[in-house]
Amino acid sequence: MDFPFVKEAISQLFSKPSCAMYPAVESIAAPRYRGRIAFDPTKCINCLMCERVCCGGAITHTVEKTEEGDKITRSFNLGCCTFCAHCMDFCNHGAIQLTQDYHMIATKEEDLIVSGTFIKKPPVKKAVPPKPAAPAAPAAPVGADAPGGPKETAAPAEAPKPRDDGKPVQDPAKCVYCTICARKCPAGALTVDRAAKTWTLDEDVCVGCGTCAAACPKNAIIM
Amino acid sequence: MILEAVKYLAYVLIFPGFLFCFLTGLLLSGIDRKLVARMQKRVGPPILQPFYDFFKLCGKETIIPAAANRTVFLMAPLVGLAGLVVLQLFIPVFSFTAFSSVADVIVILYLLLIPALSIMIGGGATGSPYAGVGLSREMVTVLSCELPLVLVLLAVCKKVGAATGTGLCFSLTEIVRYQMANGSLLGKLSMIPAAVAFLMVIPGETGSHPFDAAEAETEICEGMLAEYSGAPLGVYKLSHSVKILSMTSLFVMLFLGGIGGGIQNLVLALGLAGGAAGALTILLDVIVLFLLCVILTAVAISFVHAVTARLKIEQIFKYYWTVVSALALVSLVLAWYGL
Amino acid sequence: MFKKLIEESTGKSPWLFHINAGSCNGCDIELVSVLTPRYDAERLGFKLAGSPRHADIVVVTGPITAQSLPRVLRSIEQVPEPRCIVTMGSCPQSGNVFRGSYSICGPLSKYVHVDVDVAGCTPKPEAVIDGLALATQILQEKRRAMK
Repeated sequence: MDFPFVKEAISQLFSKPSCAMYPAVESIAAPRYRGRIAFDPTKCINCLMCERVCCGGAITHTVEKTEEGDKITRSFNLGCCTFCAHCMDFCNHGAIQLTQDYHMIATKEEDLIVSGTFIKKPPVKKAVPPKPAAPAAPAAPVGADAPGGPKETAAPAEAPKPRDDGKPVQDPAKCVYCTICARKCPAGALTVDRAAKTWTLDEDVCVGCGTCAAACPKNAIIM
Repeated sequence: MILEAVKYLAYVLIFPGFLFCFLTGLLLSGIDRKLVARMQKRVGPPILQPFYDFFKLCGKETIIPAAANRTVFLMAPLVGLAGLVVLQLFIPVFSFTAFSSVADVIVILYLLLIPALSIMIGGGATGSPYAGVGLSREMVTVLSCELPLVLVLLAVCKKVGAATGTGLCFSLTEIVRYQMANGSLLGKLSMIPAAVAFLMVIPGETGSHPFDAAEAETEICEGMLAEYSGAPLGVYKLSHSVKILSMTSLFVMLFLGGIGGGIQNLVLALGLAGGAAGALTILLDVIVLFLLCVILTAVAISFVHAVTARLKIEQIFKYYWTVVSALALVSLVLAWYGL
Repeated sequence: MFKKLIEESTGKSPWLFHINAGSCNGCDIELVSVLTPRYDAERLGFKLAGSPRHADIVVVTGPITAQSLPRVLRSIEQVPEPRCIVTMGSCPQSGNVFRGSYSICGPLSKYVHVDVDVAGCTPKPEAVIDGLALATQILQEKRRAMK
């Protein structure tokens, strides 16, 4: 018979135990620990990206129509969360943070729900003049490119400017019509036709989340 | 007559009997748990933890399985505890003896079996298959411990008997008295293998760590205790603790009885007379006995627990019938030749 | 006085019984790590019991699969009163990523009253200790409420 721990046992008897005395001594989680979700409703634009990427289906929202606009309550059920931080990674506006707080103890189910409410104002209707301009802008270069016209003059002249309502603008000189932006758009506001080389934005649907701009491999979308 | 009855009642209920067993037994088992934890780099539970466990179990609901025999199921733990308390009455505390004159080593051998039997009967009465497996394992464990234990006791009896000229001396009181006059048996060369063998028997007899195949909580749900809950379970846990006290104090009386002589001399040197001297002797006896029991628990139970992993049942059997029995036999042969 | 003693002791010696109801093993490992020398829940009196009849606190991990459901309920029924049920991790509370699967019967709260939820996937051992400490308090209150 072999007793490999005899020395260890005797020496440990006369030395300090290696316990972390937790309830008496507070312990802090590692810097990038993914704990309780902190939601900042003022930053949220209701792009629904977080709900789309959540693998546990922990993120839900309710909409309540009010005079000021849609009153949206987004709630995170920590009892359903896998703490994968996908929502945090995909949130373009930094509204979701996974904190170092690991004390998620509850006696009732409501204790585990983190939620935030914000009012989303309807799109400003006076933005009618730019509306025809937006489809017109991409249309012009398409027409200009087709005859193999003056590239040098067309590209700088048509360089798009960011819009004041925070919605995306396409730079036709850079765009290759790869359709990634349309596929990434959580609201389904973009339609890109590869063959016809068109890029159209449905402004009523767009929430201005910026996912298309972040996803564009050519940086052809400006917010 | 009534005074006599009250005295014996006090013996049974208070001093070497129930209350003493309850307090020291649970305290020893708390010290054991603390020491094991410290040897494993842990802080460990408070020393009073077995008391908390016992009282908590008293406050729990007792579920009686439908398949169980109700009377046997509830009475078996009490029988086991009673057996141990009686055993403790027969083990002298150095110069103090409650009932030792009527009982000898053979009675102690019988009484040592009662807790194991009670746990087997109680477990068997539940009708649980886990209890069945635990029961067969417990039986083998008891059987394997018994042979070296008998050999050790025989060696001691022969040694004392040869010295006092009675052939074989089975009286524990005589054994302790001999040691008080002639020094502890542990100091005799021929008794050292027997003492080592007895130390090895202690964990097996109390069912503590490497030999706890019968109560393996991780594989057979604590075997015979699987169906027990509430107060009966608490009584079994108490019996387990008291058994630690019984085995360690038996070791002290068999091999370290000479210390009692030292205590008597000390009290004599203080120059006290009459009742005061007697009371002081008993007090010192108990304190010394308790300290020795703690040391023995630390060496034979806690230390062995911390450095070993659980043995299989056939390994237990083989270990006791070869290594430990051989040690005891060496001692017996040496004692027979008068060494 | 005896009643008070029992009440005090109930809070100091909670024994755990762990049921794996189809867990991925993450929570099981974290629960065991609570009992290792690093966190050593035994210093607070916690002990892993082998049989549900010895337990005070039942810790359930896993999303309650169809196979495990009757066994979980039977094990919980066998725990003597006062008892406390703790769900560990997100799975028994909601089903987590397994939710909606044909073989998942969760959440556990559909079948029994759950006393404490410890959220996390998997919870940190400190969080488990927090949850068990809360469960112990509830246990003590339940004992107090008993006759």
